Amino acid sequence: MAGVVLETLSNRKLLGLVIGVLVLQVVAFLIGGLIAPAPNSATSLLATKCLGEITEPPLRDWLEPWGQNKCVSIQSIDEVFHDKELVFAVRFPLMRENVQLDMSRWFQNIMAIINVEKVYKNRDLAFPATLHMDARLGYKNKGDDHWTELVRSTETRPLKCEPPEIKDDGYNYHCEVLSLFELGSCHHDYYLVNIRLPMQGGLNSETGRIDDLTLVEIHQNGGFTRVWFALKTFVFPLLLMALAWNAHRVRKLDRQANLLEKSLLCLGCTLVLLDLPVEWLTLWMHMPFMLLFSDIRQGLFYSVLFSFWIIFTGEHLMDQLERNRLVLYWKHLSAVVFGCICLFVFDMCERGIQLQNPFYSVWATTVGMRLALAFIVMAGVAGCCYFLFLCYMVLKVFRNIGAKRESIPSMAKNRRKFYLGLIFRFKFLMFMTLLCAAMTVIAFIIVNVSEGYWKWGADNTVQYNSAMQTGVYAMWNLYVICLLILYAPSHKYKMLQEQSEATRE
Amino acid sequence: MPAVSAGAKIALGECQQQFHSRRWNCSLMEGNGAVFGPVLDTGSRESAFTYAIFAAGVVHAVSRSCRDGQLTNCGCSRRMRPKTLHRDWLWGGCGDNTDYGYRFAQGFVDIREREKNHPRHSPELARTLMNLHNNEAGRRAVYSHTVVACKCHGVSGSCSLKTCWNQLAPFRGTGNRIKDAYDRGTEVAFNRQGTRLVQTNKRFNKPTKEDLLYLAESPDYCEADPGIGSLGTQGRQCNKHSQGMDGCNLMCCGRGYNTYKAKVSERCQCKFHWCCYVQCKTCERVVDINTCK
Repeated sequence: MAGVVLETLSNRKLLGLVIGVLVLQVVAFLIGGLIAPAPNSATSLLATKCLGEITEPPLRDWLEPWGQNKCVSIQSIDEVFHDKELVFAVRFPLMRENVQLDMSRWFQNIMAIINVEKVYKNRDLAFPATLHMDARLGYKNKGDDHWTELVRSTETRPLKCEPPEIKDDGYNYHCEVLSLFELGSCHHDYYLVNIRLPMQGGLNSETGRIDDLTLVEIHQNGGFTRVWFALKTFVFPLLLMALAWNAHRVRKLDRQANLLEKSLLCLGCTLVLLDLPVEWLTLWMHMPFMLLFSDIRQGLFYSVLFSFWIIFTGEHLMDQLERNRLVLYWKHLSAVVFGCICLFVFDMCERGIQLQNPFYSVWATTVGMRLALAFIVMAGVAGCCYFLFLCYMVLKVFRNIGAKRESIPSMAKNRRKFYLGLIFRFKFLMFMTLLCAAMTVIAFIIVNVSEGYWKWGADNTVQYNSAMQTGVYAMWNLYVICLLILYAPSHKYKMLQEQSEATRE
Repeated sequence: MPAVSAGAKIALGECQQQFHSRRWNCSLMEGNGAVFGPVLDTGSRESAFTYAIFAAGVVHAVSRSCRDGQLTNCGCSRRMRPKTLHRDWLWGGCGDNTDYGYRFAQGFVDIREREKNHPRHSPELARTLMNLHNNEAGRRAVYSHTVVACKCHGVSGSCSLKTCWNQLAPFRGTGNRIKDAYDRGTEVAFNRQGTRLVQTNKRFNKPTKEDLLYLAESPDYCEADPGIGSLGTQGRQCNKHSQGMDGCNLMCCGRGYNTYKAKVSERCQCKFHWCCYVQCKTCERVVDINTCK
């Protein structure tokens, strides 16, 4: 095994690199925390209960809750009406301070969920029930006169509601929120949603009285998108340079690149793919597949990263066995590949089908839900297997290191240097990896418990959520850049070796 | 402003619902166009409740109208960075509607109290301080009890990314909270400097911003007295079998009651058909009605 830059680097240079990386890391956290707004914002929209003509097919005409062609609406569903049908209409974005806002392409994606408001009326209903809806989503751009249909669909959602604690009139059921649609792009200015709850053939008979529908629209904040794009555009050339340098070093070797060097290059390539700022194109082009594409890119990067750890540990086992062949790691790698395929299938079932029908949700039907859960569980099992393999191998390395330690003083100078280098390399990567993994887990926990701190009235000056997103992203980039630099083949080492050989002669 | 009158309407409805079995049944809020009747001239518990529930109703109604697009002048975020509304919206979205409702009510409801400067130790100043405090208590009963809901939407829908928002709770819960605050209300008087209100009974805990303050003990509301805003309980219905406030003994202040039989028809065995009609039968029954002498 050849020496790497890490072993021959002087302490001063190493320290300089570590400090540089730490500074960049802190800057990344600060950019997210202080400059960027929260990653997403949610707007609650109360659906207007419009009265429309009964048409075949249903929802033939667009009903606007407000604006020029405002529909005839009712305040409460207790109001009586004849020969009309009730359509829940939501249009966003709303007007604010008498200014008509519009959706921007910087928002990247839109997600909508609905919350059913049911007032408790003297009787308990048999839940869970199934909510049937005819839903239609349309858009309009500035200057357009008419709404254009994006998609229409007949959907069902499981409606799970708990009766209120105080079972008295006037209290609301607590209903679980239902996902409505997910758009991978935000290409238009105004959006309109029409929802009708059909009743032919006893549909919706068990849901009973539904007083209101609240639609919550969630999109990525434009400010966050800008910071994110800037970060990506800044990191991308850095990574590309590190990768090119590493590849150049490997090519200059007078032997074939070994497995470890190849897998490191491969890791660099997947990260380059992840960093490639193709998102800029969404500002001009309609790219609804971006959500799916980002998921795939991230999945690919993490699967190669996991494989890299296995190969790296395996190549540092120090048990005299010549490995250097990918086939030897089939057990470990198949766990990674299997897990990733499971997640990929799941993602294709959800976000893949959403390309066709944004209203689709794999969780909406029992079969789909079981299938999705099965895939997630399988991926989880594969992940556990992988983790056990990895732990076992790391333990083995540490045992071997212990054994080697004892025999090191009696070794020849060159051999001793070789083994000391090997041990140092391994421990350095272990340390870095554990640090990054721990930070990722901490970030994940912070993102998930931050709702506890999510109290409003207090102005949030520091955006933890954004800081975690940019910080973790920058961290794994810096991690890979460090690996590409520090674990590149060293020519200084070769020179030293030649020197020592020359002196021995 | 329709949202404000809607707020006053739900506040009135809630007030009457909360007090339907008490001697004071919120009836004085009605009539003569103004929401505030003579009951509010005295600094009683009832007037504290009225101010609080009205402020709460305004917060509730305004934030609700902000959500359905009927109110076009709702605010956006107060973020510092970009100066114009549109850039603000692009950068970080708009703020919470309940937040706007709260700030609107703060400006709209409190402004009447802040119009004049009253001298120290004056009863007017005491009332102003009391009203401001109770308005705030009412607003808080809405906004600090909104329900936070969250949605995970990271990679493949995982929780690596999570967005939360506020859901406005139904107004009945708000009414209950203000009623609780009414029941444990604190009597206050001026401090020595005559600038602030402090509780008269020092043994109790200091009132928080969510508690209601009152200056004077309430009248018993037994006899009609327009001066103090009491309609009296004459003619009110009471419950012969109850020992509580709605019982004929307490409700009629010991004056006794008349009983007569009446036939009432009501809707019963209702079934809701989506959408949107309720099918009911009409049931008739004969009931004993007791009214106070």
